[in-house]
Amino acid sequence: MRWNHRSVYAFMGAFILAFGLSGLAGCATETTEEAPVSQEESVADITSSLDAFAGLEGDLDIAGGTAHIPVMEALAADIMSANDAIAITVAGGGSGVGVQQIGEGLVEIGNSGRELKDDEIAKYPGLELHAWAIDGVTAIVHPDNPVQELTADQVKAIFAGEITDWSEVGGNSGAINVYAREEGSGTGETFIEKGLGNGDVSERAVIVTSNGAMKTSVAADAAAIGFMSIGGVDDSVAAVSYDNVEPTNENALNGSYVVTRKLYSVTQGTPEGLTAVFLEYLMGENGVTYIEDAGYIPTYAR
Amino acid sequence: MYVVLGTAAAIAVAAVLGMFAFLAYFALPLFTADGFARMIDWTWRPADGSFGILPMVVGSLGLSALAMAVAFPVAVAVCAFAFGIGPRQPARIVMTIVNLMTGIPTIVYAFAAAIILPPLLRAGFEGGTGFSLLGAALVLAVLVLPTIVLVIDSNWQGLMAATRHTTAALGMNPTQHVLGVMIPASRAGLLAAFVLGFGRALGDTMVALMLSGNVPLVPESPIDSVRALTAHISLVMSLEVGGPGYQSAFAAGFILLLTTSAISIAVRNMGRRGSSGA
Amino acid sequence: MRRVAEILLVITSWVSSLGVVAVVVALVAFLVYRSASVLDLQLFFGDVAWPDAVFGGARVLHGIWPAIAGTLILIAASSAVAIPLGIAAGVFISEYASGRFRATITFLVDVLAGTPSIIMGLFGFSMILLLRQTIAPDAGTGLLVAAVCLALLVLPYMIRATQNALEGLPAEMRLLGASMGMSHSQSVLRILIPAASRGILSGAVLSLGRAAEDTAVIMLTGAVATAGGRGPQSLTDKFEALPFKIFVIAAEHNTAEELSVGFASALVLLVLTASLFSLTFILQRSLERLWKA
Repeated sequence: MRWNHRSVYAFMGAFILAFGLSGLAGCATETTEEAPVSQEESVADITSSLDAFAGLEGDLDIAGGTAHIPVMEALAADIMSANDAIAITVAGGGSGVGVQQIGEGLVEIGNSGRELKDDEIAKYPGLELHAWAIDGVTAIVHPDNPVQELTADQVKAIFAGEITDWSEVGGNSGAINVYAREEGSGTGETFIEKGLGNGDVSERAVIVTSNGAMKTSVAADAAAIGFMSIGGVDDSVAAVSYDNVEPTNENALNGSYVVTRKLYSVTQGTPEGLTAVFLEYLMGENGVTYIEDAGYIPTYAR
Repeated sequence: MYVVLGTAAAIAVAAVLGMFAFLAYFALPLFTADGFARMIDWTWRPADGSFGILPMVVGSLGLSALAMAVAFPVAVAVCAFAFGIGPRQPARIVMTIVNLMTGIPTIVYAFAAAIILPPLLRAGFEGGTGFSLLGAALVLAVLVLPTIVLVIDSNWQGLMAATRHTTAALGMNPTQHVLGVMIPASRAGLLAAFVLGFGRALGDTMVALMLSGNVPLVPESPIDSVRALTAHISLVMSLEVGGPGYQSAFAAGFILLLTTSAISIAVRNMGRRGSSGA
Repeated sequence: MRRVAEILLVITSWVSSLGVVAVVVALVAFLVYRSASVLDLQLFFGDVAWPDAVFGGARVLHGIWPAIAGTLILIAASSAVAIPLGIAAGVFISEYASGRFRATITFLVDVLAGTPSIIMGLFGFSMILLLRQTIAPDAGTGLLVAAVCLALLVLPYMIRATQNALEGLPAEMRLLGASMGMSHSQSVLRILIPAASRGILSGAVLSLGRAAEDTAVIMLTGAVATAGGRGPQSLTDKFEALPFKIFVIAAEHNTAEELSVGFASALVLLVLTASLFSLTFILQRSLERLWKA
């Protein structure tokens, strides 16, 4: 068996041609699409308040909680646009990653959507938690699912794998697909502790590794139930009413919705330098816009 | 010259040995006290203090086995096509494409499949989320196919040259040649191709992580979700360092390494027997 | 019975071959189709003019350029380790080592080649933790660790390619040096390595491709979701990389447009690796032809 070069060139050519053609196609449609102009309108105020970062330089590495990511990325982008000498990296991984990476000193800020666990405190003494937002965690289903409200007991039984068919809770008959988060997830621990009363999560639950992944998985599966940060919920999924309380951050704030937690940024000891300025900014009045844009309730002024 | 090259070789060897020693060192705490017994268990429930990784061992083996059950016959059939059954020009095109497949990144397969497959599987099978043993194994089958085909291909090239004229003289057609001569005469090569493909499937992380559902249970049917050892490592690396959950990554790594090393030894022995026999 | 087996084989071989071709064509078509709406310069550079991003170091906060730059720098860094080391080790094994020693090294190289990439990641991550606790308290995950671990991943390909290229040389070529009064080392350096260079080069290109596509190693050793709009600026920087970017988008995409960006990134990575692998393939074929002629 031997191959000739021409066919290889032909295939390489085809790849590149296909690529180029679709590039042209993209250019042709470009005019109809406007570039995303997120937060551009408020750019003037932000730039002036970003003065706090003037003269600072260096790297700031952030990792952990996936509920935190939209806030971190938006803030990082504005800071870096204002000051070219600062480089901020943002990684996800979940609260477990956040606590572990700040504990081991691999990042300057580790994000967590839960308080530290006892063994984490024992392993990493000296970690300091900075709460900057309140967020609820809600059960979510596919938007086409007729079941959009459940009692606490039903939610508990569904996640424990005791109720396995949607018809048992008033829906169309068909198996319930349960999605859950990996060990260490802040969203997961909050939901298990407060939403399920420390109940079991079925071992059959499909494990996803971020709030975003939970949303995309449930949005794609008509039989799904999962849970995620209220702030991140959009039209692609439906938040489930819990004991007749709508899971909104207003209800979380007035205390009627109980499955809530704080979003923390964790540092090793008292933050210094760029890290300190970043956290002050996030937790002060300037941070409010970023936090509210992401759908959370800022702890500032409360 | 000798010194420079020798040093380089020594560094390469030291890197390999160092990596193994290092992993062994980190896996060491497992072998003391109840560490190992704790991992060799059928239940993974960290919240209740259960850290058994046997379901992941079964998950990994199941994924690789199912992937090979699909990929191996297809690979042999593709080779049969290329070695006489298919017309010359199409055969050439097929082999060129198989060669190009080695250049398709795993993450590209995993990503496209993670968007396409689960909804199809949900629609096609009653029950299940689509993130399943079957879905992940199908993608793994595509992933390992070129490995298997290319090993068989290199094995068959010599064999083809050595036997073609004889069988032609005996009046065998290409199909008879493949079926009656090539396949029986290349058993060692086929076995090596199988084992190498199996090892490649076993070592994949991204397809397993993104398509299998990561459920730490022994599957009862192909549409059940499973968790592979490789995916398990990436999932528990986020737990607190030194805790039993984190340690289970090293237990998983250790089992993987032992298996893939055993595969390398097996292939080596087969190669020896194969070459002395040919 | 035999007749049935023959017919079955013919049918399966046709079906399988067409199936394989269909899968590849469908994959590429799917990627092109799903990414067509976003494939333009804006995909790569956002609102930044491309020369500013590529040559001026301007920040690209909405585009995949930082991931592309990250991947290119990453494969350059890992190749800087793996290629010289792999060539030297390959030459040593092929030309100097003998007997049991040679068999042992070759075996270790085989074992390394069969090792799952997540193991390299596990190794890199835990090595950094150990270094921090012992001799290097400032060590961290980042470009250097990721590059070293990727180098371990591709080293066996490089060694094997070098070994095969040298061992595949015609026997007369080995006598040539001796007949001209060269020492063995002179003959290796002046005659054998140049003669095997195309095979060695194909190994190097293959290594680049393998380093470019790997996700499991870098996800544990320093790849991040966003890294400040540029490629890594130093060896200790955390970085974006195309495969990890695709992984993140696969999990996190919020809108159809973000998903399209994911498919476009996948297409870009595919074009990059497919070109590298095709180049390997062409080099190897031309080599075979060279010695057969």
